[in-house]
Amino acid sequence: MADRRRINGPVGTTIPPIYDDASEKKSEVARATRSRPANVIRKMYLKTGVTPSASGSAYLEIESSGNGGSGLKLSCSVHGPRALPRSTPFSPHIILSTHVKFAPFATKQRRGYIRDPIERDLGTHLEAALRGSIIADRWPKSGVDIIISIVEGEQDRETSKAQGIEAWDTMNALSGCITVASAALADAGIDCVDTVAGGVAALVQDAGDDAAPSIVVDPIPSEHDKVLAACCIAYLPTRQEVTNLWFKGDLPASDMDVYTQLVEKGIQASKSANRVLVDCLNETVG
Amino acid sequence: MASSQHVLLSPAELAYLHASLSLTPPIRPDGRSPTQFRPLVAETGILPGTNGSARICFADGTEAIVGVKAEVERTRTRHDFPSLDLDEGAEDDDDLDDNQRDVVKGDNDWVEMTVEIPGYRDDDAGTVFLSAMLSEALLADGEFTKRLWINRRFHWKLYLDILLISPPLSYPLPLLSLTTHLALLATRLPRLKSEGDEDPLFDDDWAAAPYLYPRPTGKKGSKKAASAPTARPPVTLLVMAVGNNIIFDPSKEELAVADVALAVSVGESSSSSSTTSTSSSKPTAMDLDTEETKGHNLRLLSVRTIDPPSRLTPPGIPNASNSAYGANAGAKDTEKKKQQQEQARTAESEAVEGVWKAPRGGAKPLVMAALVQKVLEKGGVADEVLDALDGVDLN
Repeated sequence: MADRRRINGPVGTTIPPIYDDASEKKSEVARATRSRPANVIRKMYLKTGVTPSASGSAYLEIESSGNGGSGLKLSCSVHGPRALPRSTPFSPHIILSTHVKFAPFATKQRRGYIRDPIERDLGTHLEAALRGSIIADRWPKSGVDIIISIVEGEQDRETSKAQGIEAWDTMNALSGCITVASAALADAGIDCVDTVAGGVAALVQDAGDDAAPSIVVDPIPSEHDKVLAACCIAYLPTRQEVTNLWFKGDLPASDMDVYTQLVEKGIQASKSANRVLVDCLNETVG
Repeated sequence: MASSQHVLLSPAELAYLHASLSLTPPIRPDGRSPTQFRPLVAETGILPGTNGSARICFADGTEAIVGVKAEVERTRTRHDFPSLDLDEGAEDDDDLDDNQRDVVKGDNDWVEMTVEIPGYRDDDAGTVFLSAMLSEALLADGEFTKRLWINRRFHWKLYLDILLISPPLSYPLPLLSLTTHLALLATRLPRLKSEGDEDPLFDDDWAAAPYLYPRPTGKKGSKKAASAPTARPPVTLLVMAVGNNIIFDPSKEELAVADVALAVSVGESSSSSSTTSTSSSKPTAMDLDTEETKGHNLRLLSVRTIDPPSRLTPPGIPNASNSAYGANAGAKDTEKKKQQQEQARTAESEAVEGVWKAPRGGAKPLVMAALVQKVLEKGGVADEVLDALDGVDLN
C-alpha cells in the first residue's frame, strides 16, 4: 500500500540537471592533454613512518593532472609480524592479509564503508604482488596485516565522461598501492628479496590525430580519447622478476608485439617508481 | 576461494611432482599431455526457467552450472548520453531512425555476475577475484553490452549466476569460464515486436527468440551473421609454468608446484579483418568450412597472475642441516657452530637437488610472455578449446 498521506519524492535516484554554458560550445571545452613525454611517470611524494602506532607505515602522493582534478593519495600501515591466534592452524610461512579501502569521499561516486568488489579485487592483486617479494618462511606461525586507505582517488572533476574511465583508474590505484605497501613493509623491517614497485602502461588513442595508437606510461585516462589496453606490473628490479601482472583491454592475437611492448613499458614505469622508493628509504636510514 | 587452498602434500611429494613436471616432455600425474584438458561432459539448456543455461562436469568430479536470466530495465537518463531527451523522443521519430545505429550503447552496469563456491563466503577475496576476472573478460571489448540494448529507453539487464555445485577440488577458474561461455552461447532473448522507442513488446513465441550470440548456420541468425561473423563470448584459460614447461589446465596438485600461474582470457572478435568478412558475405556451408580452417580470429582480453599456492607449501630440509642426519652432532666449539649457521643460511637461499623449497620472488617477464604466446598462437590451445566447444549441441 503506497503512502498517500505524505508527498513523497520520486522513487529511485535522480540526477540533477546540468545546463550547458551557452557561451562555450561543448566541443570547445578544453580537455587536458598529456604534457609529459610518453615514457615519464608523474612526480610522486613518498614518506615512511607516518603512523607511529603501526610497526611500519608509508604515505604516497602522486601529483594531480593539473586540470582541477585530484591526484592519488594513499596511506598504508603495516601491523605485525605478530603471533597468530591459537585457533589458527599451523603455517610454515607468514600469513599476509591485505585490505585496500577507498575512503568514502575518495572518488566522485561515494564509496560505502564496507569494501566493495573492486576494493577486494585490488586487495587480492596486492597480496599476489607482495607475496612474491616477502621472504615468507622466516616467520612461521605469524601474520601481518597490510592496510591501505586511499584518501583521494584520481578523478577529474571537469570531465563528465562517466563510463569506462573508472576501470582504468583502478589500475593506477593498484600501482600506487603496491609501491606504498612495499615502502611500509620496508619500514616495518620485514625481510624482502627486493623492493617491489608498481607501474602502469597503456595503449592509447588520442583524439586529434588519426595516427596509430601509442603506448604511454602512467596514463591519466581523461587525457586521452580512448584507452585501448592497459597493464599494471609489479616488478623486482634487482632480480628482474615480475610478481604481479594485470593486463586488461582488447588486442588482436596477431599483435603480440604490442602486448610485449606494453609489458616492457610497464616494467619501465615500475623501475621509475622504484627509484623514488629506494631514495625515500635511503633518506630514512641515512 | 583462493587459489592457495591447502594442499596436503609433503615436501618430498612436492619435490617429486616438481621434478617430474620439469622433465621434457613433462610427466603429469594423470598422464595428460601438457596442453591436454581434463575430459569433460557438457550440456546446455538444462534449466527451463532461464534464458540460457549450461552445465559442465570435469572428470575429476568438479561440476558447475550457470544460469543466465534477463530482465527489461529502464535505462537511466544520463546527461552524457547524447540525444537522450525523453520528452522529445516521440516527436523526433524521423531523426531517430537515421542516427539510431550510432545510438546503440552499452553500460557495464547492465551485466551482473555472481559466483558461488560451496564452503566460501560470497565476499571471500578469492570468489570476488574469480568473478572480477570472468566479468572483466566479458566486458573488455565493450561489444557485449551493446547486444543488450533494446531502444533508447530500455535495455536488458543480464544476471549471470555461476554455481559450483561440487566442492572445489581444483582451482575452478577454467571450469567456470567454460560453463559461462556455453551458457551465454545458449542464451536467447525474446524477439522484439515493438519499434523505435516504444515501451518494448515481445513476441511470446519462444521458438522465434533470437540468440544473444547469433549463429552463422541458423536460419534466423543468418542475416546478422553475414555482417558479423561468429562472435563468441570469451574463455579464460589457466596456464602455468614449471621449469621450462608450460602446462595447461593444471589440477590442484600440479598447481601446488607451479613457478608461475596465469589466467589468460581470450575472445573471438566479431569485427574481423576485411578478408574474413568478405569471404563470409554469403554464409554457405562451404564458406564456413573454409573459414574454420583459417582458424579463429582471436583477441587477447585480459591476463592476470594467479598467486600460485606453491608459495605457501612447507619447505623440505636438506640432510646437511637436518639434525637427525648428524648435522649438529659435533657442534661444540663456537667456530663450528658459526660455520654450520652459514651452511644453513646458504641452504635457505640456495636450492638443493631433490629438496622442495617454496619458490621466492616472481617470474621472468620472458616466461610470462611465453605463456601468453602459447595460448594465443595459431592452432594453439585457445583455438583447440574453441573448436571443441563448437561441438557442444546447443539445443
